[in-house]
Amino acid sequence: MDDAEAKNLIIETLKSKTNKSKFYLKDFYAFLPDMKKMAVSKLVNTMVAEGTLEYWSSGSTTMIGLKGAGKQHATEEGE
Amino acid sequence: MAKHPTPLLDQLESGPWPSFVSDMKHAAELRHTNPRGFEQQVPVDVIDDLLGLLEMSYEDGTTHWKHGGIVGVFGYGGGVIGRYCDQPEKFPGVAHFHTVRLAQPSGLFYTAEYMEKLCDLWDFRGSGMTNMHGSTGDIIWLGTTTPQLEEIFYELTHTYNQDLGGSGSNLRTPACCMGMSRCEFACYDTQLMCHTLTNEYQDMLHRPQFPYKFKFKFDGCPNGCVAAIARSDFSIIGTWKDDIKIDQAAVKAYVGGEIPPNAGAHAGRDWGKFDLQKEVIDLCPTKCMKYEGGKLEIDTKNCYRCMHCINVMPKALRIGDERGASILIGAKAPILDGAQMSSLLVPFIPADDPFDEIKEVIESIWDWWMDEGKNRERLGETLKRLGFQKALEVCGITPVAQHVKEPRTNPYIFWKEDEVPGGWTRDINEYRKLHQR
Amino acid sequence: MAFVSSGYNPAKPMENRISDIGPRFFKDFLPPVLEKNYGKWVSHEILEPGLLVHEAESGDKVYTVRAGTARLVSTEYIREICEIAKKYADGYMRWTTRNNIEFMTTSLETAKALKADLNGRKFAAGSYKFPVGGTGASISNIVHTQGWIHCHTPATDASGTVKVIMDELFEEFTNMRMPAIVRVAVACCLNMCGACHCSDLAVVGFHRKPPIVDHEYLDNMCEIPLAIASCPTGALKPGKHDLGDKKVNTILVNQERCMYCGNCYTMCPSLPLSDKEGDGVIIMVGGKVSNRISMPKFSKVAVAFIPNEPPRWPTLAKVCKKIIEVYAAEANKYERLGDWAERIGWESFFEKCELDFTHHLIDDFRDPAYFTWRQSTNFKF
Repeated sequence: MDDAEAKNLIIETLKSKTNKSKFYLKDFYAFLPDMKKMAVSKLVNTMVAEGTLEYWSSGSTTMIGLKGAGKQHATEEGE
Repeated sequence: MAKHPTPLLDQLESGPWPSFVSDMKHAAELRHTNPRGFEQQVPVDVIDDLLGLLEMSYEDGTTHWKHGGIVGVFGYGGGVIGRYCDQPEKFPGVAHFHTVRLAQPSGLFYTAEYMEKLCDLWDFRGSGMTNMHGSTGDIIWLGTTTPQLEEIFYELTHTYNQDLGGSGSNLRTPACCMGMSRCEFACYDTQLMCHTLTNEYQDMLHRPQFPYKFKFKFDGCPNGCVAAIARSDFSIIGTWKDDIKIDQAAVKAYVGGEIPPNAGAHAGRDWGKFDLQKEVIDLCPTKCMKYEGGKLEIDTKNCYRCMHCINVMPKALRIGDERGASILIGAKAPILDGAQMSSLLVPFIPADDPFDEIKEVIESIWDWWMDEGKNRERLGETLKRLGFQKALEVCGITPVAQHVKEPRTNPYIFWKEDEVPGGWTRDINEYRKLHQR
Repeated sequence: MAFVSSGYNPAKPMENRISDIGPRFFKDFLPPVLEKNYGKWVSHEILEPGLLVHEAESGDKVYTVRAGTARLVSTEYIREICEIAKKYADGYMRWTTRNNIEFMTTSLETAKALKADLNGRKFAAGSYKFPVGGTGASISNIVHTQGWIHCHTPATDASGTVKVIMDELFEEFTNMRMPAIVRVAVACCLNMCGACHCSDLAVVGFHRKPPIVDHEYLDNMCEIPLAIASCPTGALKPGKHDLGDKKVNTILVNQERCMYCGNCYTMCPSLPLSDKEGDGVIIMVGGKVSNRISMPKFSKVAVAFIPNEPPRWPTLAKVCKKIIEVYAAEANKYERLGDWAERIGWESFFEKCELDFTHHLIDDFRDPAYFTWRQSTNFKF
């Protein structure tokens, strides 16, 4: 699978998960079981840099989701 | 006149210890008079509202902060932590009050010129309140609004050559003791190693790639001034292999009372005349010292370098010359399975620039933990779950008796099939030739 | 006031972006005498409380003056430190890992003048700004966490408890008459961002009530699976709540299992935890980090609960002082608090410090508990 396909698969998988919007990095490993874990991390970070995904941080833990998704999003973004 | 009365906090202005309340009240006033003429980018009464909110906590005994979220600077997964107050109408100045972490320089030295520039930026774009420093070591800036985050980052990187620190499931900003800058006990260059590895692993620091947080700490000697053994997943502690160097004349001077013991650390109380036998030789945990005929001897083979004798007589005893570091791994605070200290992984490793041997161990451990670690599982917990042998195996380290305090007290050894002659596959028919059903 | 741009273009965040440059290089900030003698130091001595001298192979000497500060400080306060640094120390300064500040100079005369100057600076209401001390066998500054000033899960305040404990023990900061160094830490909840698990004396904020569930709003504000997954003890499960006219999705808390860590509140603001009566502090004692004489060791719980008594936490301050006084009177020279307690036995520790021993102090949490029970007839009556 090339990077473009992998990115698509990530986006489609995230869109299909309706009960939560934020995922641990390890969940992404599971979406792409045939890819090396390190490569998945790099890909996820690239997708953040491209603005497709975004980090969510509790301060101690980081999660990742589609940009703009999630119930708390509206209250967090604004001024 | 203060915006909010703070009768409870005011009671923290008395007493001798520096009062953070007095400091905050003064800072709150100066935001209004604005003597430096900053075009303040966050509300002018931000510190007033912070005091008001804290007073409310002092009244009702509960916190008024919520935190976490998506705020940060573009492309970084750490360095900023979203904070929101749960009384935004009453205290609008701190409604959005995010934390910014700045990577501290190794050893926490600064020039006034640089520190004043940081203060200017923080007065201009934030609350002006800080922690010097946070528990992990970063400079902590308390409180700014979302639109200021990118602006702060832009100015830090473009004007001050300064990056953010870590937070979240990242490498956290590594920290070290002041080492060779001013300490004769430094067995390796903690500051250079800290700085070098921090820069080497910037990607890990800013972009989450781990199951959970990961901390490096660098102590120059077993005294452990940055608490590496208690507070870091990867603890690098200076040590040496050869003889402690003894200046016999200086030993005599200590015995004769010419030099104060323990560098004068006990001078505030009359502990009686210094007694080398009682205070050093008898307290030596390995009993490897003797003082006979005016000569101090240390049996290096039996010394385990606890630092006590060197601490007591720093002018007479010096660390050896064959220096390096021990690597221990897996320390963490108690939650969840209880506190853990780091456990010895590499008894001795060279610790010289460019630190290639150490990087190799780090990367082996990371590869394994990124693979096997569960979500929100610290390295120490992965070690407990999968066994210390695994860490040795992935690093290619031969087990030695130094790795344990004592051997196991149960015989339940999980043998690997290839360790047992003939393996595990056996022929039942062969067995039955000697044993009836 | 009007928004002022730094030059950052929000439409093109990656334009001219500089990233991954790390911290400033430490050697740019070293006083010249330290840079010159880097790695060539031979010995040191504490000349008087808060004043040290370090000697290098070259014969150079550097005098350091150390002073305590709050950890929570304003830029105004930092600017004053900068002014002092420029006046006495060629514009250089350093923080220690325990929130003290240090100024260095090659002149003993300057160092003494600096010490007097620091001790003379006070806040308007009377507290010292920069009390000199924190060296040798003293009670050095407290390492601590945020508390009510900036954290979402604290069970107590940190800056306030630190202030009252240091007020109570102030004389021990400015003197050197303890048997050994005493390391004190305050953490405002059991996540222990401070180093409480290995300190001679530690204060840990603790909640005692499980979260309140805001059933009506929970499903609108939180992602239920995330909150459930955040619970370290598996005390949460999905459920329904009857609002009368409708049933809503919510989270059910197994209260017996809750360890009050606040992780679920982090993920879900509809599960608030803090409570005036429920929250308070634990006192832990006898931990250490150094390998000196004895191995590093964990702190142990000496007092199971003290209620929050803001603003000055009188009970907490009193108990801390009592423990320190008994330790100072009874321990041998060089003996850390934990080593002393182990030598006399913990049963003697409780007796001498006049602390009640209750069932809360017997470990019942997971594996390590058994190893703290007494498997021996060796004990003292």
